[in-house]
Amino acid sequence: MKSRSKAAREGASFRDPSGFVFYHEGAPFRQINQFYRDDYRQLIDSGLYQRLVAEKLLVAHEEVDLPAPVPQLAYQVIRPEPVAFLSYPYEWCFGQLKDAALLTLKAQELAVQRDMSLKDASAFNVQFLRGRPILIDSLSFERLKPGEPWIAYRQFCQHFLAPLALMARSDVRLGQWSRLSVDGVPLDLASRLLPWRTRLSFTLDVHIHLHARAQRRYAGEVVTERRGARVMGKPALLGLVSSLRAAVRGLSWEPTGTAWADYSETRDYSEGALAAKRATVEEFLRRIQPTTVWDLGANTGEFSRLASRRGALTLAFDYDLGAVELNYRQVKAGGEDNLLPLVQDLTNPSPGVGWSNRERRSLMERGPADAVMALAMIHHLAIANNVPLEMIGRFLAALGQWLIVEFVPKQDPQVRRLLANRADIFPDYHREGFERDFGLHYRIHKSQPLPDSDRCMYLMEALPR
Amino acid sequence: MSGMNMYLDPGSGSYLLQLLIAGLLGGLLLLRMYWAKVKGFFRKLFGKQVDEEPE
Repeated sequence: MKSRSKAAREGASFRDPSGFVFYHEGAPFRQINQFYRDDYRQLIDSGLYQRLVAEKLLVAHEEVDLPAPVPQLAYQVIRPEPVAFLSYPYEWCFGQLKDAALLTLKAQELAVQRDMSLKDASAFNVQFLRGRPILIDSLSFERLKPGEPWIAYRQFCQHFLAPLALMARSDVRLGQWSRLSVDGVPLDLASRLLPWRTRLSFTLDVHIHLHARAQRRYAGEVVTERRGARVMGKPALLGLVSSLRAAVRGLSWEPTGTAWADYSETRDYSEGALAAKRATVEEFLRRIQPTTVWDLGANTGEFSRLASRRGALTLAFDYDLGAVELNYRQVKAGGEDNLLPLVQDLTNPSPGVGWSNRERRSLMERGPADAVMALAMIHHLAIANNVPLEMIGRFLAALGQWLIVEFVPKQDPQVRRLLANRADIFPDYHREGFERDFGLHYRIHKSQPLPDSDRCMYLMEALPR
Repeated sequence: MSGMNMYLDPGSGSYLLQLLIAGLLGGLLLLRMYWAKVKGFFRKLFGKQVDEEPE
């Protein structure tokens, strides 16, 4: 379809003929097509939309008069509440994916009660807004077809139940699978990877193991010939939601055990050094007044909160799934609305994935932030991963204008541990080398040594490119 | 399938499995609701606070 306007179409918005997302002057809009008109009317007229918005399950939108980019198909243009930062299931911790699953089931339950149904249950339709998951696709609801099963059942199991079960019952790192496969975990694979004892759980047995067998058994069959007179009424649809909810609720993951044991940020600092570090970060934040902050290597978010409590939308990235989990629990417990913990391995940040590499954006495409924080993090990239300091500076300068960075030198216990069992091939890893290499990409505004340690804090501003 | 404007293939197995277990799913839901009522009744009887099911 050729668009006559200059509106830029969202790269992830092409599968559903109901409409699509486009950007106008930087803000997202949604064209609703004539194809979806009757479903949209029922969404609004049945009161479902109002209920979903009131319960913060679906983003609010308003109908606007903006010209439609593809007028020959258009019914209406809406402006949904924008989500400041798009995150993806492979960047969520266990708790975030579980909450997104329960949200999707709640929306389906409310929909069925009003003679509608979710026609897709993609985890990518969920985003985090003000700390909580929310559905962003206003066109996901269709009128219920009497007697029909839930069309999105397979998708729900692939996007939510299978990864949650694998994370809880096999290994939490298997949540990363959704980065490989944009349509979730194939159920036959999940069924093979899950331990045998998951068959003893009625809900997991039905929705994953039996489900995978049914897929194999009926592959390629024409269902109209197979179903006979069978129908699925509303009680069964609600029963399905209830059963899936029991399955999801029955899964949990605790970041305990040796690999996830120590999240204390304080072990290598004296009381004075820690207080000075906090005061320095606060002073730098006060000086630059950022509205968006990316905290890289945020651990459980102790320093991220110095930014988020000032009102900056703060992303707390860490590669440790347990740290992100604990951070997310804190966000939930405290009702914090501008801190978002996310899983991110900076040595291999999220790439562009899906169709044309444009469906899900890379980390770099979702920047830049006003300010980047990299506290006690550089040595993990420079020493543990052998990245030259100059390249780290170049990478960080692309992520945000300002940089609050802590340099941890070789004599520090943290770096000594990294070098304990290997050759020291880093002759330039010292303060002078750091300042020289980062100076190629930044203007250094201020440096502040921390007391009782050899560490040093810096405020830097990226040079114009 | 009657729903001609489905834009995703629901998958034959996923579709038929639901129809096969539809009666069971409906029945289990009734049981669960009934059980919640019984629990609620006894909780009230013993003066305990009825805690809402968390969503």
